[in-house]
Amino acid sequence: MKKKFVPTLLFYLLVLIIALIVLFPFLWMLTSSFKTQVDIISWPPKLFFEPTLQNYRKVFEEQDFLKYFLNSTVVGAVAVGMSLLLGLPAAYSISRYAQTKLAVFILLARLMPGISFLMPWYIIFSRLGLIDSYVALILSHMLIALPIVVWIMSTYFSTIPRELEESAMVDGATRQMAFLKIILPLSGPGIITATTLSFIFSWNNFMFSQVLSMERTKTLPIAVYNFLSYAEVDWGGVMAAAVAIMAPAIILTMIFQKYVVKGLTMGAVKG
Amino acid sequence: MKHKLSKIGVALSSLCLCAGAMAQSGEIRVLVANHPYGELLKLSIPQFEKDTGIKVNVESLQESQLTQKLTTEFATKSSTVDVFMTRPLQEGKMFSKNGWYAPLADYDFSDYPKNIMNAASFGGKPYIVPLVTEWQVLYYRKDLLQKAGLKVPTNFDELEAAAQKLNSESVAGIASRGKGAAAVTQVSSYIYNYGGQYLDKGTAAFNSKPAIDAVRYYGKLLGNYGPKGVTSMSWENIMPLFQAGKIAMWTDASVFYGQIVDQSKTQIPVANFDIANFPAGPKTNAPFIVSSWGISVANQSKKKDLALKFLNWASSKEMAIKGMMGNITMARSSVWVDPVVRSKMNPGLIETRAFAAENGTPVDRPYMSAVGEARDLIGELVIESINTKGTSNKLDQLAKEKANRVNELLKESGEYGK
Repeated sequence: MKKKFVPTLLFYLLVLIIALIVLFPFLWMLTSSFKTQVDIISWPPKLFFEPTLQNYRKVFEEQDFLKYFLNSTVVGAVAVGMSLLLGLPAAYSISRYAQTKLAVFILLARLMPGISFLMPWYIIFSRLGLIDSYVALILSHMLIALPIVVWIMSTYFSTIPRELEESAMVDGATRQMAFLKIILPLSGPGIITATTLSFIFSWNNFMFSQVLSMERTKTLPIAVYNFLSYAEVDWGGVMAAAVAIMAPAIILTMIFQKYVVKGLTMGAVKG
Repeated sequence: MKHKLSKIGVALSSLCLCAGAMAQSGEIRVLVANHPYGELLKLSIPQFEKDTGIKVNVESLQESQLTQKLTTEFATKSSTVDVFMTRPLQEGKMFSKNGWYAPLADYDFSDYPKNIMNAASFGGKPYIVPLVTEWQVLYYRKDLLQKAGLKVPTNFDELEAAAQKLNSESVAGIASRGKGAAAVTQVSSYIYNYGGQYLDKGTAAFNSKPAIDAVRYYGKLLGNYGPKGVTSMSWENIMPLFQAGKIAMWTDASVFYGQIVDQSKTQIPVANFDIANFPAGPKTNAPFIVSSWGISVANQSKKKDLALKFLNWASSKEMAIKGMMGNITMARSSVWVDPVVRSKMNPGLIETRAFAAENGTPVDRPYMSAVGEARDLIGELVIESINTKGTSNKLDQLAKEKANRVNELLKESGEYGK
């Protein structure tokens, strides 16, 4: 009993040290978001200070971040939803018919630097009058979400024994019915992983939104730049905006953490 | 198949037609920068709309985003921008070469300093109306200089002596940008005052003796008496240190003055901060004075008459006076002699501006299409000098190499020797 105590203590000490190092920037951001400009730049850094909500007031009152929140949510949710609609059957097909070439082709879209799509997209969308529309943003974000859904789900489907759907088909179900009624209900954890990951990637996307959106459809990562002015940086505002943006992503990850971690390693352990 | 394609084509082109017809004649799209003057324009636009009946769709973007957006829109020839704020020295050459600025033949430029208009004109014709100017100054801590029994340095020898005397464990004697490319604009005044320049008649000239001497001096100053880690510092890093009282003197652009004397952003009583002319070098005193921001009409704009109307209003003397009242250093000369403005403005700002407008050099960087690449190259030189406190024996060789690379860049864009 005594022997085990010391290693356990060391283990948690190590965990604590690593956690502190990893969490330090986050902690700095969180405290700075409640500080005034003077307190943020003061040296040595102030551990105890009079907290102010002024920065958050700027984020939500002066800058209308609620609108950007709504934009990011709409774009992320619809893009992920559509990706699931297209990606789940695609992943199933790839998994059951071993269409590896197709899978690699879809992955290519993800491997190519996003910036190479921007010019053609801009031309197409502007000819169609779709600049500053949700449609353009959602379509572009599907480029991020769809490959994630397809890749996570095709490996996930491969872990589900074929016998299940075969027996359903023996009983007269079509393959489509077997997929809808048998496979999908068993795929909950996989779908949650794919949804969470692709939503976070869409939430964080900067490049596509920057070029394809304007004032009306501006998303959150672009809006943070409102606090960077020529020759002046409003650090408090930036920090508060960053906290506000990270909060939903962190909450989402905390709720679905178990699945996300599982999903990330799913490709690694096949069996 | 062919039939189908042509159908799609018809559908597409009719969509385009709709989009074109939808745009009303009395509506323009304006892009402004996240800049105090851009904010001022945004606030004043409702009044402009009321007076003229023109509807203005305005967007404001951070400066690098603005450049990227304009470049994408113009390069794909599908832009709907009519008027935009622009940085003459940073993107002017590239934009004008691509024909993205509309010529401003009928605009009255008599109210603008001649040296500044050089950077707003291409091939002798004006394309940009300068809005805001900035020039190199010396910021200093009055109290620290007084305590050390020093007077404000007026030349480089005095500057070095003062930096040495003021330098201590807790306070750096002097600061200026040390982070490679970002430092290039601030080193420029040092180079001019040594009698050198970055480019001469379209050829790299920063490997000349005066320019290298200036870079050595800059390195000696910052390497010995600068804050720790100065080679990774731009203004974003120096400003908070200066405001926290960790720096005694700071050479940078005049644009920061408003923030320095804003008590809500500073730990030190603002009465202790002051501003002075950039010190003279061994050869001359010609610090940079540049138009950091201007405004232009987009050449592809289909509503040039409305766009020009907006541009005239946005760059009017009336708006410029409003800008001056908000501590923005405007480019128009007449607003600087306006008695109401003079009574409100800080005298230090008025004096240093008058000096720079008369003696200054109207460029603060290698003025060419590939500004960014050239700044990176020269930046390496500056860092080498700071790291060795100006003593590097490789500096001449390095300068020669970098000059050759810059010449190559100039040749690539067809600007060499011009």
